Amino acid sequence: MSQPIIEIANLVKRYEMGDEEVFALQGVTLTIGRNEYVALMGPSGSGKSTLMNMLGCLDTPTSGSYLFTGENVSDMDDDDLAEIRNREIGFVFQTFNLLPRATALQNVELPLVYAGMAKDQRMQRATEALKRVGLADRMDHKPNELSGGQRQRVAIARALVTSPSIILADEPTGNLDSKTGQDIMRLFGELWRGGNTVILVTHEEDVARHARRIIRLRDGRIESDEVNPHAPLA
Amino acid sequence: MNALESISIAIDAVRSQKLRSSLTLLSIGIGVFAIIASTSIMNTLQQAVNGQLADLGENSILIQRTPTINFGTNWAKMRKRKNITYAQAQQFRDRMTTTQLISISNESPAYTIKAGLESTNPDVSLIGIDDQYFAVNAIAIGEGRSFIESEVILNRRAAVIGTDVVKALFGQGSALGKTITIKNQEFDVIGILESRGGVLGQSQDNRVLIPITVFNRYYTSEWDASVDISVKAESKLTLESTFDEAVGVMRALRSVKPWDENNFEIDTNDAITGQFSGFSSALLIVAWISGLGALVAAGIGIMNMMLVSVRERTREIGVRKALGARKRWIVRQFLIESITLCQLGGLTGMIGGLGSSWAVTEILRGTMPSLSYVMPWGTVVFSIVICTVIGIGFGLYPAWRAATLDPIEALRYE
Repeated sequence: MSQPIIEIANLVKRYEMGDEEVFALQGVTLTIGRNEYVALMGPSGSGKSTLMNMLGCLDTPTSGSYLFTGENVSDMDDDDLAEIRNREIGFVFQTFNLLPRATALQNVELPLVYAGMAKDQRMQRATEALKRVGLADRMDHKPNELSGGQRQRVAIARALVTSPSIILADEPTGNLDSKTGQDIMRLFGELWRGGNTVILVTHEEDVARHARRIIRLRDGRIESDEVNPHAPLA
Repeated sequence: MNALESISIAIDAVRSQKLRSSLTLLSIGIGVFAIIASTSIMNTLQQAVNGQLADLGENSILIQRTPTINFGTNWAKMRKRKNITYAQAQQFRDRMTTTQLISISNESPAYTIKAGLESTNPDVSLIGIDDQYFAVNAIAIGEGRSFIESEVILNRRAAVIGTDVVKALFGQGSALGKTITIKNQEFDVIGILESRGGVLGQSQDNRVLIPITVFNRYYTSEWDASVDISVKAESKLTLESTFDEAVGVMRALRSVKPWDENNFEIDTNDAITGQFSGFSSALLIVAWISGLGALVAAGIGIMNMMLVSVRERTREIGVRKALGARKRWIVRQFLIESITLCQLGGLTGMIGGLGSSWAVTEILRGTMPSLSYVMPWGTVVFSIVICTVIGIGFGLYPAWRAATLDPIEALRYE
């Protein structure tokens, strides 16, 4: 296996809901290497979303360890987590989550703004990212002037623009029709072949089929973790 | 993200919430308006008072038909007052026993003075004076001389002119002995006033003094034919008795019945200052309290608006945090937004306040020709500062709320 990006050991996440304690994750151990293409699956309540939030450094575990490219994320504060997210993780959401008043280009620039990059360098990087997702001619359009598929491409460009260690996509085709969904999955495939590490979170077998490795969760534990025999060839 | 981008986000937010924003901006505008307008009008009036007091010397009493500056004045009653004619003023002078330092003068604004091909702006004050004028008033001759009694009696066409007029007509050259023309009448320049500079932006050197007899013949209309009498008591000790005598003499001359009020204005230097500063500080206090009150209310409005804005944009904040925005970025964005809101409102109030105080000055100029508008720079700066302070003060809590949102919750927010 290539050099690991994510090393999780005995990860536990406990929520308190009133008097009751809910264990969303009950000891997950997982390693994901560079340039892997992983699908994270599981029914609702399986702990899939919680694990995704952990992987995306949006949340910290109750116990267990999480090393992100060797750095211990478990006990970082909010601002350190923000910096890790900015530098290392590209998010793609089901509902795209673009800023409605900003153009495609401005949306893609945003992570670079938070990284403190200068204006012209930002423009250049964002333009490149939009070209990569095939939206060179839509850069000055606002989200409401774009189709669903185009919006998701903008979101993917935004995830790519910082050259993150992982691209974390949460039900990326959930709000798209099946043909557009396939286009988007093809794009993720291209990104993976281009050397990116892609983690898909989904409950759809059709979507997960594109990944090289499928991890299934149930009741806060990993149920299975296997190579996908149906994956398209690299 | 630089501040400019945050400001444009703020202006966008204002545009997308027109009604809510404009109501909040209005209340800030009202606060700033109250502060700017009141301060500006008071500054202008203060300048007029100072200008008058600058002329009036120490231990002096001023008698006029109507007050130069008064508030709550019943103008209808004032208008009915008979003029203080030159003849009446002369009688007054003859009857006074406690002092001989009495000067009769009259002033009319906005004349153009010419000499050869040169001419001044049409804003020169023309003042008709007698031979006592320089003894009574705090004004001095710099060069040449003033009028002697016979020149006043015999309508001598002679003039004492201010340094601004000298500069405009004769440049660096000497003006003494030259001839100037005022509305087709020629005058010999016999004296130059000592330069006094400006009082709050209004030049005290832009004036021409001529014998009051000549003034009365050519330069008065029915409306301003009433003269002013300046009386200088011989010392501070005799000021009160001189004042009492002046009141008695004037009442007798103007046939005021014992039970009637004076039908003229008589004030000492101190009384004018005292009246005005009492009035102006009361008004300023009221205006500033209500202005600051409006600003605090506006601040609460801003806070409410920002809280609503934070709630509506919860998801956006979640996205920003997911993309790596640190707390201080979010705080900064919302603070700049609330400061921008405050400044927009403040600007509106400032324009309104400056505009209306300017208009009030123009209207008052009808009865107080010597007024000129005084730009309240200090207050303008103050309102920019206070708007910033309010923007920060009332924006901080909403900004902090935004910055500390849990990104997971925020992203899930519908």
